[in-house]
Amino acid sequence: MSLKSYSRARAIHVMLVYTGGCNGCDIEIVNCIFSPKYDAEQYKVFLTWNPREADVLVVTGPVTKHNEKPLIEIYNAIPEPKAVIAAGACALMGGVYKNIHGDIPSEEIAGPVDKIIPVDAKVPGCAVRPEDILSGVVAALPLLLNAK
Amino acid sequence: MNEDNKMTDKKVIETEITMGTVHSAAIEPYRVRLFVEDEIVRDAEITVGINHRGIERIMEGLPVEKANSLTEKICGICSNSHIWNSVLVAEKAIGIDVPERAQYIRVIMEELERLHSHMLYLAHGSEVLGHETFAMRFFYIRETVMELLRMIGGNRVQYGVSIIGGVRPRCELDEMRILKIREGMDIIEEKILEFADRFVSDPMIMARITGVGVLTQKQAIKLAATGPTLRSTGVETDLRREMESYDPFEFDVITQDDGDVKSNLLVRVLEIPEAIKIIRQALDNLPGGKITNRSWEMQDAPITKSYIEVPRGKLYHSYSLEDGRVRNCIIRTPSITNIGAMQYAAVGHHITDAQLAIVQCDPCFTCTDRAIQIIKI
Ligand code: SF4
Repeated sequence: MSLKSYSRARAIHVMLVYTGGCNGCDIEIVNCIFSPKYDAEQYKVFLTWNPREADVLVVTGPVTKHNEKPLIEIYNAIPEPKAVIAAGACALMGGVYKNIHGDIPSEEIAGPVDKIIPVDAKVPGCAVRPEDILSGVVAALPLLLNAK
Repeated sequence: MNEDNKMTDKKVIETEITMGTVHSAAIEPYRVRLFVEDEIVRDAEITVGINHRGIERIMEGLPVEKANSLTEKICGICSNSHIWNSVLVAEKAIGIDVPERAQYIRVIMEELERLHSHMLYLAHGSEVLGHETFAMRFFYIRETVMELLRMIGGNRVQYGVSIIGGVRPRCELDEMRILKIREGMDIIEEKILEFADRFVSDPMIMARITGVGVLTQKQAIKLAATGPTLRSTGVETDLRREMESYDPFEFDVITQDDGDVKSNLLVRVLEIPEAIKIIRQALDNLPGGKITNRSWEMQDAPITKSYIEVPRGKLYHSYSLEDGRVRNCIIRTPSITNIGAMQYAAVGHHITDAQLAIVQCDPCFTCTDRAIQIIKI
């Protein structure tokens, strides 16, 4: 293990980007890091709002058209190596908001997330459970730690 | 603060600070423009519309049962309020009697939701204050409510309790569940009073929140603020007093006088024991019998409206029914009328207090972004 990945494993910073879901997933993720019951901070996972500090990007929501550009900019601002986790039914396939009228494309939704930025781990659920988010972050860890 | 301080003259102001759409200080995507003069905010402008997903349009033309469960997806914080109000519209339109037991269960769910929403507000507020320990404490007691919600509805966020004619069979409250809810209420009551006591007796926190983000009563009424934001300025208004479902219950409407961050926090803190009181009364007098009335027939109905009191204020739903499908759906959430109050509350204060002044009105921009413009062709 290189020195970089050794130190990285001791401070994983998660950035949460909210792209127009219903707040449900969003709060569950904050909950999973802050609330003493799940307390991801004990595994040295921290929440940050600064893309330059982040290792893992968690995206929730179906990515509305207005949010598409900021999301790409945030993704580009995160230094390599990085992992992206799409959390919630909305982020995975647009949820209830996309294509609800059959084939008519939605005017508001640009998502799902993997159409816009590459996604490494997917966490299903509406809303995602905090336990699942932890396992999603754990699934994405080898990407970060094995990088040179 | 006097009224003159809040007067603005846009021509003089040159410095503009923009936050958003994604910003570290604001979890949800929205845009705030602060017009600043000598580090004092002279004018604030909040832009919404980034979250717009067009849920009213998605609901248009769907069978009413489907549309009802879709309303939950408007907001992940007060999802029960949306589905309850949407179901109330259909029940009012078709004229369905709801069994009394179902009404009690709905009230219990709504009050549980109020508990978790207010605790989230307190946690978010403390985080914005920079007091992470308190945020974690409030998240800690909130977890008790979340477990109860998961037990009743099967999901931590979107629990879908109400259906047309009653509540879902899964959400029946048996002896075991009643016992668990009672235990949870005891824990919350003990802890919240302890934390609230520590919160208000901390001189640092009180110095930070007293006199910040002041909204006078006159302005709050003029800006059509609603819910706890209006109650924090001394107006005694609560739609639960008028709602039929709340008739059997005794509770006090909490008001505070100052309209600043302190009053806003106190209103929410003091509403938590009131909600616990309602839940206890409902559990004590829970009537027996069925929880769903299935003997109704779908019929067409003109536009029907319904207002209920949700954790953030008044919620309005209306639609008409045509062949069992939803038409002309309109939803107005409390946050949209509170935006005016948010903008006004930030004005006249130091720029570091602006975020706090916005957060004190309990914003939920997800619910807010739905309005559609109908263009006639
Ligand atoms: S997946 Fe469900 S809970 Fe999560 S943002 Fe979408 S609608 Fe809300």
